[in-house]
Order: sequence, then structure tokens, then C-alpha cells
Amino acid sequence: MSTVALSTPTAAGRAGRPGFPGTGHRNLHRFLATGVLLVGALYCLLPVLWVFMAATRTREELFSSFSLAPGWNGGLWENLRDLNDYRGGEFWRWAANSVLYAGAGSVLSVLVSAAAGYALAVYRFPGRGAVFSAVLGAVLLPQVALAIPQYLFLSRIGLANTYWSVLLPGILSPYGIYLMRIYASSAIPSEMVEAARLDGARELRIFRSVALPTLVPGLVTVFLLQFVASWNNFLLPYVMLSDDRKYPMTVGLFTMLNQGANQPALYSLVIAGALLAVLPLVALFLFLQRFWSIDLVSGAVKS
Amino acid sequence: MPASPPRWYGARVPRIAPYAFLTPAVLLFLTFFAVPGGYAICISLRSAKVSGGGIGVREEQFVGPETYTRVLSDVEFWAGLGRMLAYAAIVVPVMLGLALLFALLLDSSVARARTFSRISIFLPYAVPGVVATLLWGFLYLPTTSPLTSLTDVMGTGTINLLCSKAIYFSVANVAVWGGTGFNMIILYTSLRSVPSEIYDAARIDGCGEWRMARSIKIPLLTPALVMTVLFSTIATLQVFNEPMTLRPLTTSISWTWMPMMKIYRDGFVNADPYTAAAGAVILACATLVLSLTALRLVQRRAFGEDR
Amino acid sequence: MRSKKLARTAGVMFLIGSLAACSGGSGSAGSQEGPVTLSFWSWVPNIDKVVATWNSSHPDIQVEVSKPAQGDALTTKILAADKAGNPPDLMQAEYQTLPTLVTNGVVADVTSHLESVRGQFSDTVWSQVTFGDKRYGVPQDIGPMMFFYRKDLFAKYDLLVPTTWAEYAATAEAVHAKDPEVHLGGFSAADPGWFTGLVSQAGGSWWSFDGTSWGVRADDAAGTKVADFWDGLVREGSIDSSAWWTPEWNSKLDQGKILSWVSAVWAPGVLSGSAPKTGGKWAAAPLPQWRSGENVTGFWGGSSTAVAARSKHVAAAAQFAQWLNTDPAGVKGLIAQGSVYPASTSGQSSPALSETPEILSADQADFYTRAEKIAAGARAFTWGPNVNVAYSAFNDAFGKAVQNRTAFSAGLRSIQTAVVADMKKSGFTISER
Repeated sequence: MSTVALSTPTAAGRAGRPGFPGTGHRNLHRFLATGVLLVGALYCLLPVLWVFMAATRTREELFSSFSLAPGWNGGLWENLRDLNDYRGGEFWRWAANSVLYAGAGSVLSVLVSAAAGYALAVYRFPGRGAVFSAVLGAVLLPQVALAIPQYLFLSRIGLANTYWSVLLPGILSPYGIYLMRIYASSAIPSEMVEAARLDGARELRIFRSVALPTLVPGLVTVFLLQFVASWNNFLLPYVMLSDDRKYPMTVGLFTMLNQGANQPALYSLVIAGALLAVLPLVALFLFLQRFWSIDLVSGAVKS
Repeated sequence: MPASPPRWYGARVPRIAPYAFLTPAVLLFLTFFAVPGGYAICISLRSAKVSGGGIGVREEQFVGPETYTRVLSDVEFWAGLGRMLAYAAIVVPVMLGLALLFALLLDSSVARARTFSRISIFLPYAVPGVVATLLWGFLYLPTTSPLTSLTDVMGTGTINLLCSKAIYFSVANVAVWGGTGFNMIILYTSLRSVPSEIYDAARIDGCGEWRMARSIKIPLLTPALVMTVLFSTIATLQVFNEPMTLRPLTTSISWTWMPMMKIYRDGFVNADPYTAAAGAVILACATLVLSLTALRLVQRRAFGEDR
Repeated sequence: MRSKKLARTAGVMFLIGSLAACSGGSGSAGSQEGPVTLSFWSWVPNIDKVVATWNSSHPDIQVEVSKPAQGDALTTKILAADKAGNPPDLMQAEYQTLPTLVTNGVVADVTSHLESVRGQFSDTVWSQVTFGDKRYGVPQDIGPMMFFYRKDLFAKYDLLVPTTWAEYAATAEAVHAKDPEVHLGGFSAADPGWFTGLVSQAGGSWWSFDGTSWGVRADDAAGTKVADFWDGLVREGSIDSSAWWTPEWNSKLDQGKILSWVSAVWAPGVLSGSAPKTGGKWAAAPLPQWRSGENVTGFWGGSSTAVAARSKHVAAAAQFAQWLNTDPAGVKGLIAQGSVYPASTSGQSSPALSETPEILSADQADFYTRAEKIAAGARAFTWGPNVNVAYSAFNDAFGKAVQNRTAFSAGLRSIQTAVVADMKKSGFTISER
């Protein structure tokens, strides 16, 4: 809980609103605000709920019962077991690949974005505007158009169909750089940097010891968003990789849906796999969100 | 060590430091954006033609602006462009309006169930695209949709959410559902970086929650808002995932429904990277014009003159 | 300016790359002595087990299999890989994509390597891999079209199995009149392979090649006949027009709202996945004919094993391709592990094809024997160098026609226009007919 002054309005505040009964007005606000949030939350949850429900249904039940009804016949266990058996546990290899691509990629991405965003926010130097425009320009040519040229380029240097071919192109995140620039602009006042310089610190040290700790909530956001984007990325690994043992879960599950003629599409397994793919992201989110509550100045946890 | 002059632009202003910090980003940019982008521009001026007319092998050759002329004179391309603008006009305001609303509510102390809502609104962004077609197939198609159960009970006729009248909203719904959480998190984190003393001072002055939101939080959010508007607009103009997801479910979406779909079809289905590259360049130019205009209008306001 | 930068950067990278060239990859860098390693891209389920059989008996030619994608997606990957200079030595190529691969210089002419297996495939099947007198692959599997119906529901609604298309239309109307929720079958605006199979049954073909120039007739008499037939049924509403391969379609099949499926010999596997509750209730029959008493059908799908033109071991690869598709051990593996219906005539009467698919009812034990007879009457479709353009034009044109309830034959004309324009753009000579 935060200090008292924050959450409850003072008597002076209440008195500034003549004509309204104080507590009732407050309750109405609370009701409306919570209501809006809950409506939004439930609307967002409904399709996600489908994933859960569909994963608990058996193959026979999948298309023949109500879309949002759960299955009570041990469907979840059956689907998970079949998923595990598919091609000798291939799904877990794909999951490990996803962890590698998303984990390593996000860490590298955060570092690169933080350095670039910090430089753009704190320094004045020739070429600053050009760099900023170039970052924007990177967003204009979308992945669909760049994928094959990137593949050809990486093939030239012998990196196609390797883990690097998926990691490297995913590190640069124009979004991440923009975000870090905004956070750095608002969270790092020039006095802080100047003071550190006066103390004799070198630039890299300032970045590491002064700026980065202040930027933690922003770093966390960029990490989370980049992690999810990499985790769910389909087009890049699809184009770069031809060895299906290196596939992340997204592409692996896709091949399960498109098995070829005369093979049943493995709907239930794919849904179970998707469920398993969502859970780590939920866990990550729950773990990381505490970093958003840190009050930047005092270090105390805001409520 | 002599004391530095007490000005921001002192003699000890580091000269190479900014470039050093930017080096990784610039290197990656050159390798994975500039070079492939340049390549894409190159091949947009080329094409593969067969010599001999029969079953010979196609050879790549320079054709100049021929591909561009063909793409620009294609009626379907312009139709797709028009649809794209209409679609963006629906999606961007709705998605960002909702993201802003939710972010403000989450940051206020008035609403309850904040943690639950925060994770729930974020979840759609976490759902992998591979099940999206299945998911929306179940929820949209009349036979399997829960909406049908509802309309059966109410006695109104079956609504087909994928018919040509409703398709914009159905696709927009998928985009808003999936993208609001992402933008909300960005705005929310921006709000979290505001020192609480500002709110304390405002409350002491008698500011209520709504007034605080309007007069303090939104102005403070301007840089992040501008950024999310800009990037969302660009992403929406390049819309690809949502209509591609729904395409197998209905006849209302053709391969040229959105410009990016046509580019994908040319490059990945028709094995014609040349037309795809030309289309991508044209789309990129259109997006550039639109976003540069917007950026110029608000850049000064967003990032201030100096820091 | 940019191309200079590109050239310079690419040059530097190439230099670095050629130093690093040993890393990664589908090693066909084996020397002339010592074992040869071939890379093989295929999507047949459990193909790795079949390949293992070969590997154990052929230590001098080892094959590494990988499953990057299936169908059209694999073709795109192959084209990109070839452009990058490292295609797989062996690839599974659907018949309709072979001309695309040939005209992009991706696949090798293996005519001289296939003399010994000439008699293993019928002429119709050979025509699917032959272009201008050269053979570009070994046929692997075929998909002769057949008619699958719900035996129990046909009995319930008192229906006879239609043997001609006229009977099919009449049955469709009768069923729909009896119960408006139920349809005899469906039409798909998103499965051009299905449509072209029916067109070839009617005697048509969108492309023709006389050795020097191409002919394109998407709107010929046969195609128009087929289009008009389905047009009428869809407009009346006696045929279901919802999209296939969706939860809705699966649900309708599962719940008996769709009574039959015009499909191919591989339908049982698909039906097990889409309508698992209907196991043991289906039966198979020949496709309805245009003229009573005939036994003609078309192909829906089917692929071959092709060899890359850039491969350093074309002879060895051709040897493996032959083994896979004609040797009894290879064919048996394909059938038993991969559930493939073989293209080779001996394969079609292989003892491995003895087990009746579970989706069919118990009295369908002779399914594969009948399938072989049906396959013998199949007519081939000539594929052109831009099938994918035609297919996506089909998707759009027929999708629009179903949406707006306009004539399907107009859709054929759109396809004609699109295909001709694309072929002219690529420099093909088209003889006006």
C-alpha cells in the first residue's frame, strides 16, 4: 500500500465538489471504472477461453459440441498425451527452440534498443535526425517484403537454416528503440547525466549505472513485448529454416495442421499446443509486471 | 581535473559516445533492412522472362518501370488501397481509444480488479496466430458460433459475421481484439513513469480523478500516444495477418482485399518476387507520405525542442 | 546509389561468407569417393522411416530427410533455396507445380535415368511429369477422384447412389426438399485442384503445349459445362457452399448435414480428422459420369519425387527416387507409413493396401481394388508454367461469384484473362485458338 495521501481524497478535495454526496459519488465512479475494465477484460478473454475449452475436448467432441463448452471426458489429458507422442516428442524440441529464439533475441533486443534509445534521447549529435528517420523507415518495408531478400542474403554468407538466421534479423526492433527513446526522454533528466559527468564518470559508466536502473520499467516493457512478438513470430522462421528440428512452436504447429493428403489435420493437438504456448507468456507477464509498480524516484512500490 | 563549464554544451561533450551506442542498431539496420530493402528495390525493376516461348528456363533481366506500370494500372490494387484506408479509419481510432481508456483506468486508483483486467486485456496479444483461423472459424462461422446460439434463443435470424456487409467489422474486431492490449501496455508503462508527486500536488489542489486524467495524464502521455498512433497507423496500413487469418473461412475476402495480401500472394504464392517487390515499394511510399505528414505535424509537440 | 551500396556490402559479405561457407547446410559436399549424402524435402508422414530402410541397405548413398512445409508452401521454399544456391537434392513436387519448377530451372531432366522403370506407370501418369518429351521426376502418388457418401443417411433418406451427374443434380434437389438443413454435397470456391480434376473428367484442360507454343483455354466447352453444372446447384441452394476445411464444414460433416463428398482416393484420412464421429459410416463409389456407363475420372492432387538441377549427384538421387516409388520395399513403406496411394501400377495392387480405412463401413473391404479400376480410367490435365497464378485467380473469381451469385462461367473468363496476361508477361508464346 502506498502512503496515505495518494489514494483517498482529502477533505479539502471533497469539499471542492459542492452538491454531490461524497461517498456515493466516489462509489459510482468506482463502479463505472471497474465495470468498463471488466467488460473489456471479459471481451478479450472470450476467445482465449475458447482455446482453453477446445483443448479440453476430445477429438470426437471438438466439432460436435457447443464451441465454448468444456469437455469432461479427459480430453485435455488425451490431447496432451497425443501431442507428446507426435513424432517422438517433437513438440518439446519446438518449445525449446521458441525459448531460445524469444529469450536470447529479446535480451539482445532490449540491450540494443536501450543503447540506441538512450543515445537518441540524451545526446545531440549530427545525424541524429537521420538515424531517427531511418528507424522509422525500417518499419515501412514490412517483413513480408523483406523476408525473402533477407533469406537470400543470409544464404550468401552461409547462415541460412541456422539458429542465427532467426535470431539476428529479429534483434533490431524499431518499436523498441522508439519506446526507449521516449522513456529515456522522460525518465532521465539532463541534470542527472550532467551531474554524473561532473563526478568524472565516463559515458558507458553513466549508461550502465545511472541510466539503466532508471529505465527498468521501460526495459521490462520492451522485453515483454519483444518476447511475445518473437515467441509468436511465424514468417521469419518459416522463411529462414528448412530443417524442421529448428522450428519454433508457431511453425511446428502449422505443419501439424497441414499434414498432407490422406492425413487428418491434427486439430486437437494444435489447440493443445497453442494452449501450452500461451501459458509461459502468461507466467512471464505475471512475473514481470511488478517492475511496473516501482516508483522511479523513491524506489518504493506504488500500489 | 578542471571543472567543466556549467553549461550543457560543455567542452567535455562526448563526441563518439552517441555513435558508439548506436553502432549495434545501425549495423543491424544496414544488414537486415537497408541491404534487403535495396535488393527489393533492385528486383522491382527486373523480371524473369522465358526466351524461346516454349518450356525454356526463365532468365532474370532488367525491365525498368514496366512492373510498376502494371501494378499501378491494376484496378484491384486501387480497390485494395481504398479498402485499406477505410479499414484503418475504423481500426486505429477504436483500438487506440480503447487502449488509452484502459491504460488510464488501470493507472487510476479508482478502479478495482486492475491486475485481472491488465492480464486479460494483454492475453489476446499472446495467442499464437496458428490457431487464429481455427479460433475465429469457431466463433464467427454460423454453424459453430456461440452468437448463433444466442440468436436462436432470441428468435432473430442467423447472423453471418463473415458476409460481405459485415466483413470489415469482423476483421477489424480481430485486429482491435489483438492489438489493444499491446498499445495499452505501452501507454500504461508511460504513465507509470510519472513521479507520484505530481499527482499528490494535484490532489491537494482539489483535482478529481477524471480531471487529473484529462489535464495531467494525457498531456504527459503525448509522446507515447503519438508513437502508438504512428506505429499503429503504419501497421494497420500494412494489415496482413487478420484478413489472411479469415480468408480460408469465407468467400468475402479475395487475395487482393488488402494491398499487403496481394504482395504476399505475388511473392509467396505466385512465385513472382518482382511484382511483389514493386507492390511493396509503392505501398511503402504511400505509407511514408502519410506517416511523414503526421509526424511533422506533431513531432515538435511530442519531443519538445530540447531536453 | 543504393545499388552501389548493395554491391559493396554484398561483396564484403560474400568474401566473409565464402570463408564461413563450411557452416550449416544440407551437405551434398561429399567427394566422389566415399558415401554420398543427399538431402530430401518431403511432407509424406513418417517418410523418415521409409528413408531409414533405404539408408540401411545403401550405405554408399545416404539420404537425409526434412519436412519444411507442404504443397505450394514447399514450392516457394524450393524456389527461394534454389535462388540462394542451395536447393535440396531431392524434393516432393506436386504435379501441377512441376512446370513452374522446370521453367525456373530448378529440376533436372532425368529421362535417361528412368529407362528401367518405364513400364511401372501408365501413360496418363507419366504425362504428369513429362514436358516436351523430357521427364522431370518419378511419379509418387495420385489422387483419382471418387464419390464418398454416408451409407446410413442415404438409406435414411431413401436415396440411390448417383451414377451420372444428372442423377446427382436430381438427388441433390430431392435431399434438400426433404430436409432444408441437409445437403447432398458441397462446392468449394477455394479448391481449384478439385475443380480442375472435374474439368479433366469432362475432357478439358486449361493448358496445352504443342512443343513450341502454349494454348490456354480455361473457358472451353468442358470447363464451362462443369462450371454451369455447379452454378445451377449452388444458386438453387441444393448444394452447400460454405468453405471447406473449416470448423463449420467439419461440424456439418460430423453431424450429418452433408451427406456426401466428391473427393479423391485419399478422402478417408481427411474424413477421420474432420468428422471423427462418423467412423464406419461412409462408402465409396465411382465419380458420377457425364455419360451413363463410362468410367472416366480426373486427378485431384498427387506428387512426384524430383531431382534438383543444381544437385551434384543427379544419378544417385534418381536412383533413390526410383527405389522410393517403384521398389516393393519403398512402395510398401509409402503406403503403410505415409498413407499414400501409389502412382505405380504394381503399387496399386500391393498387399500393403489391404486394410480398409476405418472411416468406411465394413462392407467396403474391396475399396482399394475398386480404386485401382477407377484410377485406370483417369484423364490427365496438362499443367502450365503458372498454375499458381491460375489457382489464385480461381479463388478470387469463384469466391466473388459465390458471394455475388453471378455466373461461374464468367469466373472462368477471368481466369483465362489472368493466365494469358501472366504468361505473356513472362515471355511465353501463346497460340491463339
